[in-house]
Amino acid sequence: MSQAPHLDEILRALLKRHLTDAEIYVKRGRSRRLERTPVTETSSTSQERAWAVRAGNRRASFFAAATGDPSPAGPWPEPVAGHALELPEPEPAPAWTLPSDFDTPLTGEREGLKLLESLGRELEAELPKARLLRAVLEDGSSEAELANSRGLRALTRSRLSTLYLEAAGPGSPAVTASLYVAAREPRRFHPTALARRLADRLAVSAAGAPPARDSGDVLLAPGVAVRMVAGLLPLLVGPGPGSRVIGARGRFASDRVTLIDNGRLAGGVFEAPVDGEGVPTREVVLVEEGVFRQPLLAWWQEGAAHGEPSGCVRRSGWRDLPMPGPTHLYLKPEPKTPVAALLGAIPQGYYLIDTTGPGRFDLATDRFALPVCGFAVETGRASAPVARAWLCGGIGAFLKGIVGVGRDLTFHPLDGMIGSPTLLVTGLELRAGPE
Amino acid sequence: MPFSKLDTAAVARTLSQIAEQSTDVVDAFFERREEVELAPEGEAGALRVWREEGFAVRLVREGLTWMASRDAIEARPFAEALRQVARAISAASYPEPTLEVAPPEPVVAPELLDFPAALSRAVRAHHVGFPLRVAVRRHRRWIQVVGPRLVPGPESEAFYSCAVESSWGRYGALLPRLSTGAGGAVEEVALAVVALFRARQAPSPLPFRGPAVLAPAAVAVLLHEAVAHALEADTLFQGGNPESAVGVAMAAPCLDVLDDPAAAPEAVRRTTDDEGAAVVRRWLLRGGVVEQPLADALWARTSPVLLPGAGRRGTRHLPPGPRSTHLEILPGGASESDLLAGTLEGLYLPEASRGALDPLSGEFALYLPYARRFRRGALAETVGPCVLRGRVADLLTRVVAVGTEAKPAGAGWCAKGGQKLPVWATAPALRLEDVEVTP
Repeated sequence: MSQAPHLDEILRALLKRHLTDAEIYVKRGRSRRLERTPVTETSSTSQERAWAVRAGNRRASFFAAATGDPSPAGPWPEPVAGHALELPEPEPAPAWTLPSDFDTPLTGEREGLKLLESLGRELEAELPKARLLRAVLEDGSSEAELANSRGLRALTRSRLSTLYLEAAGPGSPAVTASLYVAAREPRRFHPTALARRLADRLAVSAAGAPPARDSGDVLLAPGVAVRMVAGLLPLLVGPGPGSRVIGARGRFASDRVTLIDNGRLAGGVFEAPVDGEGVPTREVVLVEEGVFRQPLLAWWQEGAAHGEPSGCVRRSGWRDLPMPGPTHLYLKPEPKTPVAALLGAIPQGYYLIDTTGPGRFDLATDRFALPVCGFAVETGRASAPVARAWLCGGIGAFLKGIVGVGRDLTFHPLDGMIGSPTLLVTGLELRAGPE
Repeated sequence: MPFSKLDTAAVARTLSQIAEQSTDVVDAFFERREEVELAPEGEAGALRVWREEGFAVRLVREGLTWMASRDAIEARPFAEALRQVARAISAASYPEPTLEVAPPEPVVAPELLDFPAALSRAVRAHHVGFPLRVAVRRHRRWIQVVGPRLVPGPESEAFYSCAVESSWGRYGALLPRLSTGAGGAVEEVALAVVALFRARQAPSPLPFRGPAVLAPAAVAVLLHEAVAHALEADTLFQGGNPESAVGVAMAAPCLDVLDDPAAAPEAVRRTTDDEGAAVVRRWLLRGGVVEQPLADALWARTSPVLLPGAGRRGTRHLPPGPRSTHLEILPGGASESDLLAGTLEGLYLPEASRGALDPLSGEFALYLPYARRFRRGALAETVGPCVLRGRVADLLTRVVAVGTEAKPAGAGWCAKGGQKLPVWATAPALRLEDVEVTP
């Protein structure tokens, strides 16, 4: 897709309207969506063709987006007085090689439906009489071109597959569990592993009981740990956590914690050489061995390091305005620590395998509560299932109580891709309710 | 109307070529949308405009659905999409019907520009003043469904949404009109924002069990989650056979709940659904007993008990599903003083910020940004955020009185299965006995 002269024409047309700062973004995409329920199968294909323009001057600005092709003639809306539009200058982007899987064709109808079918079979094999209520596979690819009036030009491509599963366990009333995962290609979804994860959730939820108020060592599987990391995002993205959260000498968390965001993470779902405004992406260390280094800031935000922008402005689609946010934000794993070693180190505590709903994070009062399920652990072995439980405590206590980090880094699609390995934490409580 | 020049007869003829079996469902869904937003003061891109149009072609055969959608209304993409969904002779070329649509009109939305200032004035009229971040958006949508045998008339919807943020919380609403003046949309939003402000320091109530009176706005959210979602054919299927729900006593006998898209506010009123089927004045509950679950064309084929007419789609890129449009709760005989009467202390719940239903367990939660206590027939002090909880079947049987006056009860966005849709309601107040409210 090369339409650079055409985009320049549009920028010139906007300039003639005294809109001295202008940016145009053009996107082409295609996707296949396959859905399976116990009574229906749906196969859809869609093709997307759309654009977005941001334009303004010192006094007024507008954002316009539409399907089809943009035309220099518009029609453009009248700009409305407001904050001046700021656009980035071109920056040299470090070398980046297009991953080969960006070129793989979208999943075929039969292939995709087979994957969904096999998930149902595997689930029943893992947990007899469990059933898949809904399975949705979406597979898409797109190309985008960006040009702005400061001379920035960028071409990006993306490839993304997501899988949503909703399952019910045996018995009546049946417990339910859902799972949402993302990868660059559908072949990265492993039916057995996904079915096992759902089956574990269903089995534990059906058999488990909420604990009496208890504390002890708590092992958080990646599915739980990423929810905790996602709950910290308001501290990490934007102007930063402030001095209240950061202790003496910049101490933010235990020395086991290193938090990184990286828009060009090799193999990452959103891997790209530039962000949604065309600014080069890079690895940004937010917290290093427990010490707070910097928040994740867009080039235009106050406090951003001059001359070294983070490239963290996301643009999910042509309808969306560019907004700062994490792309692949993760807690760095410890390559030499297997999960079994962390589990074996627990004399008495809990191994929490998944969350069962959205958590509550109150950064003002430094408290969180997260609904979870898992197992009680005694001398490194699971002793009883635990369900309808809430992991509760202080956000600062969680960060400073991380005493072990596993090697099983796993990313989940939350606000961007958020990743964490298994974490061993002390100083938290497990309760029957959030309060 | 953008589709007045669309040659629907030619589209119907083309569609008939892929409907090979008498039981096939084939249709084309044409859509144009326009949204114009005035962003909160100080944000770049102060005026935001989104315009899109496109279509989807669908073939349903024996429980299997094939669908293809495009972001353009043009002959060639239409023929391509048709080829993608056709089953028997998918290599054949289909005729390209002329697809002429009216060009979009220039964007003019002066009513949006006036809204933030009008809202500030309306808030100050309540003798309070505080900073507000206001985003207001106009939504317009035009659709045309074409089937091989039947071409219903075009439909259109227009409404507004606003989101107001202050230090005391966020208030969001859907509004059929942006009218100023007493009882208008601006005053309605101002009242809600001022109420949030006045409840800012109120502590949440301790866990409570007793009577609760829900104002129409809270009733609308309760019944949307607890009745409308619970009676969608696909939701019912998760727990068993949808038709077996018919005849089940689900609520107190004083509760009559309907879904009637034809009685919605004028600007969003519908005569056909997003599948082109005529809408129905559908009795979801008559005397508390389930009478007619919500069904779209496909679910209606699974049972003679289920009627189509409630098929809705949030976007052309996703298949339709059974959803409610405009809930109507019939008024009862209880005056305001009857609702608040009694010796027991209770909670009056004016607003609900959201509701959540687990369709399998039936567990329900209604989130309330604030509430007021009532004693001996009079409203008393305000309490802070709390949650009304219970199992749907149990909660709905606890309705003991229905208010005499059904009001347009606000509306909201309803998201299910990735499809976000506006929903509307007309409701009276309700009194429930012995319900649980937690902080």
